[in-house]
Amino acid sequence: MAINETIKIKAIENGPLQVSGDINLIGIDGNKIETNGDVFLCRCGQSNNKPFCDGSHKKKGFKD
Amino acid sequence: MMENKDRDYSNEDITVHWKPGKCIHVTTCYKELIEVFNPRNRPWINMKGAPTKRIIEVVKKCPTAALTYSWNDKSKQEELKEKEKKTKKTEVKIMRDGPIVVMGDFEITGPQGQTYNKMKMSSFCRCGSSDNMPFCDGTHRKVNFSD
Repeated sequence: MAINETIKIKAIENGPLQVSGDINLIGIDGNKIETNGDVFLCRCGQSNNKPFCDGSHKKKGFKD
Repeated sequence: MMENKDRDYSNEDITVHWKPGKCIHVTTCYKELIEVFNPRNRPWINMKGAPTKRIIEVVKKCPTAALTYSWNDKSKQEELKEKEKKTKKTEVKIMRDGPIVVMGDFEITGPQGQTYNKMKMSSFCRCGSSDNMPFCDGTHRKVNFSD
């Protein structure tokens, strides 16, 4: 994907944040996290694989 | 857009722009350079507290762009803008025990398919408890969200 293509951020209802496009993803320690394609970031606070979604929102009944 | 709480602080080289509405109190500025950024002082930014180069370094670390700077010299400022345009990728930053901060060019779609006006910076809730989904409203502190 070209660098100047607009990044799309979608909050999936009752689910994660989907980020599409070529981004710099920076983790809590300030280091860059390599990404490949769309990333799905946890929005429910319950993932065991933060910052990424691991599907926990379903188990925990996360609602927007 | 300049809001009425926004403030500018200048030395002979640069002007630091402060937008309190964007600040989510990550505390990077005063932990790095209390001689310049001291929230207990009024005015809280003392442009004489450090060399320009050091002030720029710390302003650049502000994750939400509540602090930005510009060169007082117009041609120097244009140079900076050109450079930024060429190198900038949209940055998605995970804040420890806090939100996802996104800076750059991006489009947002909300959980009900809502679209929003284009912004240069947004903070998205990561704790699951915001009353302003999908955005952060600071609730992560109340619920003691921790990574």
